[in-house]
Amino acid sequence: MKYLYSEKNNFIYKLNTSTVVFFIFTLFLLSLIFTHPIYLGTLFIITTLMIITSGNWLEWKGYLRLSIPIVIMIILVNSIFVKTGSNVIYQGPTLPFIGRLRITLEALAYGGAMGLRLIIIISLFCLYTYTVQPDKFMKLFSRFSSKIIFIVILSIRLFPLLIEDYKRIIEVQKTRGVKINKGKWIDKIKNALPIISVLLLSSLERSFEQAESMYARGYGSGKRSIYQKDIKRRRDYIITISTIIGLASGLCIFTAGQGSYSYYPKLSNPSLLDYRLYSILVITMILPAILNWGWKKWPILKSKI
Amino acid sequence: MITKLLEINWVLVSFVIIVIIILLMFRKYEKKKSDTKEIALIGTMAAIAGVSRIPFAVVMSVQPTTFIVMITGYVFGSQTGFIVGALSALVSNFFLGQGPWTPWQMLCWGMCGLAAGKLGKNKKELNIILFAGISAFAGYFFGWTMNIWHWLGFVYPLTLKTFLATYAASFPFDTLHAVGNIAFSIIFGKSFFLILLRFKKRLVKSS
Repeated sequence: MKYLYSEKNNFIYKLNTSTVVFFIFTLFLLSLIFTHPIYLGTLFIITTLMIITSGNWLEWKGYLRLSIPIVIMIILVNSIFVKTGSNVIYQGPTLPFIGRLRITLEALAYGGAMGLRLIIIISLFCLYTYTVQPDKFMKLFSRFSSKIIFIVILSIRLFPLLIEDYKRIIEVQKTRGVKINKGKWIDKIKNALPIISVLLLSSLERSFEQAESMYARGYGSGKRSIYQKDIKRRRDYIITISTIIGLASGLCIFTAGQGSYSYYPKLSNPSLLDYRLYSILVITMILPAILNWGWKKWPILKSKI
Repeated sequence: MITKLLEINWVLVSFVIIVIIILLMFRKYEKKKSDTKEIALIGTMAAIAGVSRIPFAVVMSVQPTTFIVMITGYVFGSQTGFIVGALSALVSNFFLGQGPWTPWQMLCWGMCGLAAGKLGKNKKELNIILFAGISAFAGYFFGWTMNIWHWLGFVYPLTLKTFLATYAASFPFDTLHAVGNIAFSIIFGKSFFLILLRFKKRLVKSS
């Protein structure tokens, strides 16, 4: 039992956790506020670039395989149920519950854009899962809520331990002559009951022992001390500032109404209105990928940031 | 224009609302004075509830987690139930994969624990039939709440027709979840209750 996260040797993994989380959160927010196909497409390319840069291409493929059926379903449902839209592609027979089948280009395009948005969001969570260390992520919030974070980290630690315990108890039962996997299903349940009970009992017993040990060490008696501190380097400041600029330009695009796109009743011309804001957004958001490339190419850059 | 804006951002709006609810509940717990034993116990129960999801991850709808969260809430009260439920979803998703569904699952399981806590208030014994009934209802409640997220996140357009279709599609899975909950309650209910009650007594005595 281990995390899905594993450390890889590239620029993304050398960033501070808060920087990566902020970057991913910005992309997440932007993907939710934009409906314009060009902006969604751009966000998709940025996300793809980040996943490839961080070296998680193989892991991402699994996520894509899972999300493609959902995307197809979204497009299908949308094009069947929505009958507004002026460009009719196909007009079919009358079906029960749905009514007359009428597929329009607009509905198809809207379904496609929403499917793309879903893929972006799923990819972002894939990026998060594989590039953010859970313990460090939890530690970001320990300032606000130390008890809850402590409980989370404690139970993460207990996961592999519980599985070990479970195996150990099964072995003990086998040694005592209990046939775990034999007999009717009712016998199996009867045999499983003591195993689960013992697992519960022993882990609760251990939790009390641990609490006593914590008490003896003075948990909660004063301000918490910090064992390990994550330092922020120059690269973190660069990426954070550029992400803030990217977020600001994205919000500007959104408030100016350029991020949204009207699919119904007729597809409008999908053109970009503001090239400056768009290019600022693109450049700031692909900066981590660019720096990773430079990081590998020039050791001098690596030593400076 | 405004309705269009809201339609676009329903996923985001619901996400924010749920995160705020969860954070408020956490904050309430954070302010309460609690001793180390209680903290360690909550962590352990969250881990057990989370681990129990893993062997059943393939059979999406049968989840012992709901039962474990509910029995914990029943014995230790609403607040503990909520925290155990919410954290078991969060922690197990570190191993199964985090996603936009995490806050929804946290809320659902948290509410299951909270409801069971209300049910078990001032009760010295476990009424298996009542508990199994409530846990079956919790199975449906869990599915219905998660359906809202499915509907907002995956189904377009957001109309009554697609809403009903989503609920109809999930009915068999919710039923499986409910039946699973009844089975777990009948098989494990008594022994879990006695074990947890014993630790509750020790908790009260020591603090």
